Amino acid sequence: MEDKVFELDGVSRTFGALKAVDNLTLSLGRGEVTGFLGTNGAGKTTTIKMLIGLIRPTSGTVRLLGGDPTVASTRARIGYMPEMAYYYPYLTVRELLAFYGGICGMDKQTIKARTDELLEEVELVEAAKRPLKTYSKGMLQRAGIAQALLNDPDLLILDEPFTGLDPLARIHFRNLLKKLRDKGKSIFFSSHELGETELLCDNVAIMKKGHCIYHGPVDRLAGDGGGNLERLFLEVLEKGGVA
Amino acid sequence: MKGVMRRIGALVKLSLLELWRRNDMFALLVLALVLLVPLSLARPFGASGATRYFDEAALLLIWGYSLFISLGIGGRLFTSEFANRTVYPLLAKPVSRGELLAGKYLGAVVASWSALVFFYVLWAVSSVLRGGECLSTCFLQAFVLHALFMALAVAAAVAGSFLLSPSASTTLLAILFPAMFFFGRRLPDYAENVSGVLKGLVYAVYWVAPHAEFFDMRQRLVHGWGGVEAGVFLSVVGYGVVYSAVLLLTARFLLTCKRL
Repeated sequence: MEDKVFELDGVSRTFGALKAVDNLTLSLGRGEVTGFLGTNGAGKTTTIKMLIGLIRPTSGTVRLLGGDPTVASTRARIGYMPEMAYYYPYLTVRELLAFYGGICGMDKQTIKARTDELLEEVELVEAAKRPLKTYSKGMLQRAGIAQALLNDPDLLILDEPFTGLDPLARIHFRNLLKKLRDKGKSIFFSSHELGETELLCDNVAIMKKGHCIYHGPVDRLAGDGGGNLERLFLEVLEKGGVA
Repeated sequence: MKGVMRRIGALVKLSLLELWRRNDMFALLVLALVLLVPLSLARPFGASGATRYFDEAALLLIWGYSLFISLGIGGRLFTSEFANRTVYPLLAKPVSRGELLAGKYLGAVVASWSALVFFYVLWAVSSVLRGGECLSTCFLQAFVLHALFMALAVAAAVAGSFLLSPSASTTLLAILFPAMFFFGRRLPDYAENVSGVLKGLVYAVYWVAPHAEFFDMRQRLVHGWGGVEAGVFLSVVGYGVVYSAVLLLTARFLLTCKRL
């Protein structure tokens, strides 16, 4: 079994004249939780899109679970939740999960068992028969996390997972991620929520203008390990160098 | 192979649910019932000849509805995925872009055909009520060619939605298909009466644009002329299949190149 669930080696991605990601080298160990921080336009979403094979890097290599993420079968053991998706409005959450289960090649019995489990987990049992168009933003986010967890992935990649969640849902979601971390899942998520990142992560990676300017343990960055990530995040950004 | 079938099956089911849970589809079907039933049952002045014109008008309406449905479904197939950002979690699953296109296209075609079956059953019932034949060779050929035309129209709408904005593509195809349906066979005559660049342009349209009129068997069906020869029928089937395949390959290429 590979030590690293993903490895980005000297990865760059340009869009015309814009260099969205520049010579990025980053990896995630098995069972690690890493927060991916940076200002808007720092290259976080582009990096995530390269990680899951949605776009190819202009240069450098991306390895996901030991394979090429642009090959469909490599993505069988990952779960991904985008920043904000408006899932098929005419489906119920059960139908949504059945659809994604089919896409993952799961059989009906497994899909049903997993759906029951996940709906409990994300607290959508009561709303399971309602079409998704009647869901609030927070409920859609929970449906999103359920679809990402459906195939019991080894690696969970989440793009701004705390967006749109009310405080209670946020606490619940944080606890869910902690539970997954305790089960040994590797989690990589981008976020602007420094408090949540500090509470959840072993490591953080900070991006600025396409470069990774810090990658290391949260406690080393925060020093005393509590509430300082915001101040230090700003310091690292201002310095712009690798800590 | 089993995994591929499951993935394509899931995509087909999604397209069917999308079509049949939309309110505008029900509005269209009710409208079809309201217009088609009186049209096909009407017996003006008891003259049998006149009923044929009503029959033909009913079939023309079916063609209009089917084009509307095909372009609507095909045009929305990927644009809604991109607009709602559902394409991202979908492509992060173990599904290739080719499978995604094949599954969604098949689903859209099956969904369109389910509406076509409804229209043809309605027309066949009214035909039987008037003492006509229902399951004639001509009727079956007309249905198969019409179904194939819908598959072609969906493929054109899908490819068009990658090239242009959805509304521009649908509008263009909504003009192109009826224009070819009514005037396609007259284009060479027209080309002979013009000269220069225009002549070349008319011939280019004649050879490149989809010949919707090839699939039209309304006259034969209404006037009881019987089916076409097997060779002609198979040629049109081949034309529809090849044309749809070319459009789908174009769509596959454009989907691969599309910036996500």
